Amino acid sequence: MIYLFQILNGIGLGMLYFLLAAGLSIIFGLLQFVNFAHGAFYLLGAYLTYDLVERGVSFWIALPVATLIVAIVAGAIEALLLHRIYKLPHTFHILVTVGIALVFQELAIIIWGPIGGSVPTPDGLGGVVMLGNFVYPQYRLFTIAVTAVLAGGLWWLLEGTRVGAIVRAGSESASNMALLGYNTMRINTAVFAFGAGLAGLAGALAAPIRGVEPFMGAEALSVAFVVVVIGGMGSYTGALAAGLMIGIIQSLMTTIWPQGAQLFIYIAMAAVIAIRPRGLLGRV
Amino acid sequence: MHILDTAKVQICLALATVLLLPFVLNSGILATEILIYAMVVAACNLLLGYTGLLSFGQGIFFGLGTYVAGVLTTRWAVPIPLVLLVAVVLGGLVATAVGWFSIRRQGVYFVMLTLAFAQMFYFLAYTFSDITGGDNGLLGVPRPQIMGHVLDGPWGYYSFVAIFFLVIFAVLLVVTRSTFGRTLLAIRENEGRAAAIGFPVRLFKIEAFAISGAITALGGALHALLIGIAPLESINYHTSEMILVMTIIGGSTSLFGSVMGAGFYLLLSDTLSVIWPRWLLLLGLVLVTVALFFQRGLWGLVERGWDAFAERRKGPQKEAGDV
Amino acid sequence: MSDIALQTHGLGVRYGTFDALSDVNLSVRCNSVHSIIGPNGAGKTTMFHALTGTVAASSGRIELEGRDVTRASDDDRVRLGIARSFQVTSLFPELSLRENLRLAAQGRTPWQALIPWRRAEASKSVLDMADAVIERLSLGHVATRAAGELSHGQQRRLEVGMAIAARPRVILLDEPTSGMGIDDIEGMKTLIRDLGRDHTVLFIEHNMGIVMNISDTITVMRLGRTLVEGPPAEVRDNPEVKAAYLGNMITGDIA
Repeated sequence: MIYLFQILNGIGLGMLYFLLAAGLSIIFGLLQFVNFAHGAFYLLGAYLTYDLVERGVSFWIALPVATLIVAIVAGAIEALLLHRIYKLPHTFHILVTVGIALVFQELAIIIWGPIGGSVPTPDGLGGVVMLGNFVYPQYRLFTIAVTAVLAGGLWWLLEGTRVGAIVRAGSESASNMALLGYNTMRINTAVFAFGAGLAGLAGALAAPIRGVEPFMGAEALSVAFVVVVIGGMGSYTGALAAGLMIGIIQSLMTTIWPQGAQLFIYIAMAAVIAIRPRGLLGRV
Repeated sequence: MHILDTAKVQICLALATVLLLPFVLNSGILATEILIYAMVVAACNLLLGYTGLLSFGQGIFFGLGTYVAGVLTTRWAVPIPLVLLVAVVLGGLVATAVGWFSIRRQGVYFVMLTLAFAQMFYFLAYTFSDITGGDNGLLGVPRPQIMGHVLDGPWGYYSFVAIFFLVIFAVLLVVTRSTFGRTLLAIRENEGRAAAIGFPVRLFKIEAFAISGAITALGGALHALLIGIAPLESINYHTSEMILVMTIIGGSTSLFGSVMGAGFYLLLSDTLSVIWPRWLLLLGLVLVTVALFFQRGLWGLVERGWDAFAERRKGPQKEAGDV
Repeated sequence: MSDIALQTHGLGVRYGTFDALSDVNLSVRCNSVHSIIGPNGAGKTTMFHALTGTVAASSGRIELEGRDVTRASDDDRVRLGIARSFQVTSLFPELSLRENLRLAAQGRTPWQALIPWRRAEASKSVLDMADAVIERLSLGHVATRAAGELSHGQQRRLEVGMAIAARPRVILLDEPTSGMGIDDIEGMKTLIRDLGRDHTVLFIEHNMGIVMNISDTITVMRLGRTLVEGPPAEVRDNPEVKAAYLGNMITGDIA
């Protein structure tokens, strides 16, 4: 029974990882931009939720507000700074976004202190669900439900709508887009804000589960990388499968060998890369 | 190749750095730290500047070196020369393994993989705390002795490290100018063509990784001997990030650029962290500025300055000739 | 058989369900100039990829001077004596012309270059080879210039030179004249013809003037298969070739 419990936990965790990785992939897919500040947006989403809830705002308002603020902040950074460096080699994408991540991390310490904090389980989801004699926290089921709906929505958005078609066309060639009369600058900003918003949402959803601390960004970034590498870049289903796989492995290991739980994420990655260098479902 | 990038000028600059640091800095520890990171950053530059491989995993090898020094000296009192040798060999071996895995993917995925491996080794060190001391690290790493005399003064150990620094710097000069180094440049320029004219590209990349890892581990071991502990921070994400940032700030087109990058970063951190504990925020802004305006890094500035100077000197002479 | 430099038996390359190349039997004689022509999509470049080991053959065999190289890796084949140039110029743009050729010559003995303390100047034969090719291409006046700064015609010549520098038994040239001006084309034609005297040249070309003029043998390809193979006059007069698609494209004179 404990394993079933951990597998459910793993699915919840894995779906959050998937959200993170999907945001990273969308930004890279369209803009060919390497976003090392992705973890910082996750951190910002979590801290904003923490802050709002501390001020007495209901979690249900804090969640969308935090996500929206992250998207707006990210959009502003893209419009003011990042679009200037798209043409530079990836080294400079990394340098700038590492810089941005440092700024966010230090700002978080300045504003909220170096210790971090916890976010109470939101009203109405504090209880547990009884399935026979199996007990499970409601909030965790809620995150699974929300992220599952989001995953479906994201898939529909990218594969089934005009917006998705625009985004996919843009990733082929920005100049084609300009020829079609689209304002690529504005689309780029919107896509970046959207991808970062997904990271912010993942952070906001994770806050009641794992709390907040200033170095959560770096950790989230590397997990998102692992998911992308394992899943195969540009593969939506790959990212989903990899996210779930990592989440479940991590949760199961928490029961079996707690100190090694994090380590096994990376061992799984090394194993996949050794066997399938392109990732589970990588096309290229 | 720029005139300042010739081997002679480069080794002279390195030598001048070693001789001048004691006069410029009050702290022997800081000066020693600069030399240690200078060789570590130059090794990162071998990958970034010469091979075109952006490795976010240099902290793995640095941390490995510190743990080799920590474990061997505190548990078994292994003599220091042997400790350093083990660090070099183990660094090279682990780098070969990490390189073998990471170069299976290219471009951005390669970078992601190196970062993920950096995390993996961090968690390894964290998990196996009975070997590494976990959060506490390994305390009581001794300084080396020379002819029965312990180098416990700051400048005594500085001299010890300075010799290593000069040797490593010279080694890297030889490597980057060898047919091996020139093939690395070709791989950086056009990997597909390098393979088409017959070079087994992966082998070259792995060898570059091995050399880089061996030197980085040596740096890590020397650092543990300097500060007397092998801390968990040596192997974490931020060490990798710091080494990479130093490399890019210094400029990846010349080896001495790496020395400047290490010096700039450590002096900045030493000065600012005293004034304001949140100085990393300012560093973040520095990184953005470098990417926007100084893409060739500090070394690029030196080259530009030199060219302007040479131009000015040439100018009047010509006019004089006309008269 | 000893006068056959390169030969394929039933060579096929399959991409997924698409047969890019099927049942190709090619035989290239030593010291000859052998050209491959055919419309776009005929499988010419795919054949080059298969011959150099860039893509694996799905069926059939490739023999270099009687030796089976079907399973050899791409860098092994360079050492065995197959070198190629590319249709789209692919050089080391920031390195000097001479360094480009030195690297290409060194590619024949790449293990030497793995020694991290060995000086580039230590391999005299490699340097001599690079200089000999510079001479042959008559590019001595720009030898120290970065490859990326050369004119298009010079870059195309260097592209061919990269293949020569590997001292190959067989040189594969993929559209050596692509994008060249008329003056440059004449020089390239002479270069290829001369190469045929001491090497074996297999080349893909769209310029029928050159093909008809300097080829000893022509292979016509279509839809991944060989249509006709023979000397220029025979190919030009072959009714099947004429009818199939070449039409009045063949206009060059036969020297």
